Amino acid sequence: MTHVRINNLTKAYSGVDAPAVADLDLDIPSGRLIALLGPSGCGKTTTLKMIAGLIRPTAGDITFDGDSIVRIPPEKRGAVMVFQNYLLFPYMSVGQNVGFGLKMAGVDPKTIDQRVKEMLNLVRLPDISDRRPKQLSGGQQQRVALARALITKPRVLLLDEPLSNLDAHLRDEMRELILSVQRDLGITTIFVTHDQEEAVLLADRIAMIFDGRLQQFASPDVFYRHPASERIARFLGGVNFLPGKRQGDTVETDVGSFRFAPGGEDERPPEDGLLTIRPEQIVLGQPTAENTVQGRVVSRIFVGTYTRYRLALGSHQIEAVRSADVAGDFAEGQDVPIGFPADRVWMVRPDQAA
Amino acid sequence: MTDVTVKELAPADRSAGKRATGKIVFYATVIFMCVVLVLPVIAFFINAFAFRWFYPQLIPDEWSLQAWQRLGLLPPPGQFSIENLFAQWASVPDVVRALGLSLWIGFLVTGVSIVIGMPAARALGMYSFRGKRLIEFIIITPTIVPPIAFSLGLNINFIRWDLALEAAGINLGLSGSVLGVSIVHLVPVMPYVVLTLSGVFANYNADFEAQARTLGAGPFRTFWHVTFPAILPGLFVACLFAFLVSWSQYLLTFLIGQGRVITLPILLFSAAGSGNNAVIAALSLIFIAPAVLILLVSSRYLSGESGAVGGFGRV
Amino acid sequence: MSWERWRIPLMLGPTVLIILVLFFGSLGFGFLQSLGFQPQLGNTELNFDAYISVMFSEEHSSRFWAGLLLTFWVAFASTFISAALAIAIALLLRRTFFGKRLAVFLFQLNLPIPHLVIAIGMILVFSQSGLLSRVAGELGLISSPREFPVLVRDSSGIGIILAYVWKEIAFFGIIVMAILQSLGEDYEAAAQSLGANRWQRFRYVTLPLIMPGLMSASIIVFAFTFGTYEVPRILGVRHPEMLPVMALDFFLNPDLNARAEGMALSIIIAVIVLILVLIYMYISARTIRRG
Repeated sequence: MTHVRINNLTKAYSGVDAPAVADLDLDIPSGRLIALLGPSGCGKTTTLKMIAGLIRPTAGDITFDGDSIVRIPPEKRGAVMVFQNYLLFPYMSVGQNVGFGLKMAGVDPKTIDQRVKEMLNLVRLPDISDRRPKQLSGGQQQRVALARALITKPRVLLLDEPLSNLDAHLRDEMRELILSVQRDLGITTIFVTHDQEEAVLLADRIAMIFDGRLQQFASPDVFYRHPASERIARFLGGVNFLPGKRQGDTVETDVGSFRFAPGGEDERPPEDGLLTIRPEQIVLGQPTAENTVQGRVVSRIFVGTYTRYRLALGSHQIEAVRSADVAGDFAEGQDVPIGFPADRVWMVRPDQAA
Repeated sequence: MTDVTVKELAPADRSAGKRATGKIVFYATVIFMCVVLVLPVIAFFINAFAFRWFYPQLIPDEWSLQAWQRLGLLPPPGQFSIENLFAQWASVPDVVRALGLSLWIGFLVTGVSIVIGMPAARALGMYSFRGKRLIEFIIITPTIVPPIAFSLGLNINFIRWDLALEAAGINLGLSGSVLGVSIVHLVPVMPYVVLTLSGVFANYNADFEAQARTLGAGPFRTFWHVTFPAILPGLFVACLFAFLVSWSQYLLTFLIGQGRVITLPILLFSAAGSGNNAVIAALSLIFIAPAVLILLVSSRYLSGESGAVGGFGRV
Repeated sequence: MSWERWRIPLMLGPTVLIILVLFFGSLGFGFLQSLGFQPQLGNTELNFDAYISVMFSEEHSSRFWAGLLLTFWVAFASTFISAALAIAIALLLRRTFFGKRLAVFLFQLNLPIPHLVIAIGMILVFSQSGLLSRVAGELGLISSPREFPVLVRDSSGIGIILAYVWKEIAFFGIIVMAILQSLGEDYEAAAQSLGANRWQRFRYVTLPLIMPGLMSASIIVFAFTFGTYEVPRILGVRHPEMLPVMALDFFLNPDLNARAEGMALSIIIAVIVLILVLIYMYISARTIRRG
């Protein structure tokens, strides 16, 4: 159980103008599972490697339980990193791979054997100790890499894109494994991903990072319902943005005014911004509901389990998705009432570029 | 195991000082290593231009071009002029003759080995067929078996074949001729050409050629516009290595040339026994100049190109 | 019969023919001659006399065994020392630093320089009146050239080993650097994260990873140093004498009967090298099967 704090962490490379990581602050209570989420090149892996000690920060501090660790070499830090491509040593057996950390620590071979067995059981891969990494599937390699990291009982577990190299069906399995192991052992875990789905599936809280800067640090559902900016909303799959001005809990746009449910205390939507709603949250064809305006169907694509509509709303176009379970369909060119449920609408800060 | 000793860390100032010391040690090591490795080349330069270099002087008091004049590459002392220089070279001193011969044999061997080796490399790199392993074994073996093992037999074989051909009325004269020497240089050269080029062809997609043919290009234009540009970098490396391997052959040239084919290595080897260090050094510099040039040109193609790099093992 | 069927044989034909006739043909003929086959002298009966004479006769045996020992010593020492130094230097040059390109170039400088030239360079550097002796003189470590140790044309093959080390460091170096570059530093980072210190990372991660490539290169270097003529001819002494030099001495002897002995020696060299290569291939194939 280790409480990790990151204070003003900065990494700048000489000859590069923008720092890879800038003034990052994160407070990760012990035993939590945190995702660093962002597009590739946003500085999230750099951050992970700084925590592991593999990259030296330019400025700032990292503390484990209040003690600064930035001057401790990686091998003594107790922060073990599991790499995206697993990096199992190809010339060693699975058992030797898993026992590597204990061997480095000078533990006697007998204890190592026993602990290797325990660890392989923990990741649900008993009896493969003598195989070579090459003989394992990607999912198995991933689990061996996890066992290899956990055997040293690290204070902090660092995972680089833990699910991204796996097939869809293996992802679920791996996700459950990581969650159960992490809960059982209570290890503070930080993982990096570029995939919002991966972050949502695993993390207690997500730190969204763009251009080396922390954008928002919140739980997954808050991210979906109350993204802080247009960019975050877009990153999470948002496509509908209507410029508007907020007064209290009401947003005035040029297609009408919409009421929205206020968020938590620390979530203060901007006065001047963009109204956003996810396509699947839009209610079509219920003229009497709250926050409903008239639009017209521009195009309609039937995708099987759902239908995707492109709708004209004043001078704007928005997208709505309607599940096949819901009765009723709308033809191209048809006028249709478009409802924005108040607890699904949110106001975001527009991108600076926009 | 969880109690990592956080208190052990060194104070900031000390670790900064240690890092500075480490940097100095690092640079000192690198510089020492570079100097030691290039000592032979340094020695060549000093010896080739030294004059009356008495022990224990490290740097000679006097410099001169006497070694180069002795080799006939420069006009005698006090007579330097452009006309004299031309006249000197026009009289074809031994060194110039050997240099020309080495270049000529090198180019010939390179050209022939590429023309012969390219189809073989293509077959090995792009197709799988029965007996491929055996063919690869045959081609690779000369790179492992020491040249002395086959060159003695080859020496006798050439003499026998000459006699047999003479008896049949053909006076080819393989033994002791430039032709014969060039042919035997193919033995150490071919494996590297084929290895390098088959690596290139293994990564080459022949569908491009098929595409060109369907777009109306004939076989020759397909080769010229599609195949050739695609394999050019690898081809270039293969040429450089072929030349370099031929350029540095001593034993084969000595045994097959019968003392009648005097290339640079033959000249250098006989000079090595003369004890005139200045002349030896000057000859060595002439001998390594193209090799270093080749390194400069090819160094960016080298890393990872293992088939080609193996060629350096035989230089 | 279609052209397709003959395509691959025609593509391979000229190359294979050249190597079969010139290389294998000569190797085979040399072997025949080593068995006493000399039709021009009227000898067509085959026997092992030349081998027995070279290895066991009173006249040659002490020279042969001393030469064999020296050859093994030189080949092993050269291969091992140059491989070890090359690894150290390649690891050193892996960092990014000012002047790295120049350092790498100088590191590779001896690569294209022929062995013959390096051997001559060793005389100019290491002989008693050479560059190093002068450095020692200037530093006041020695007062006359005779006090400088005999490092070239010495009876224990030091000069020969020095030449090979100078040359093969560059050869091993380029191979090790290429492997290190393609591996990246991730495996070492992973090991470090798991608690491996600097030495443990080298011993348990870097070294095993470069080992396969290093072994292949070692075979090439060993075979080369075992069978090369020029370097020991220039830097060696008459006794003991490395086998390739001895082979050529016999071969060039005006007495045509000595020719069979020269051939026998050259075949012995080839057989030893081939046996070692086969042992290596057997071991590495077994390791791969196990893995």
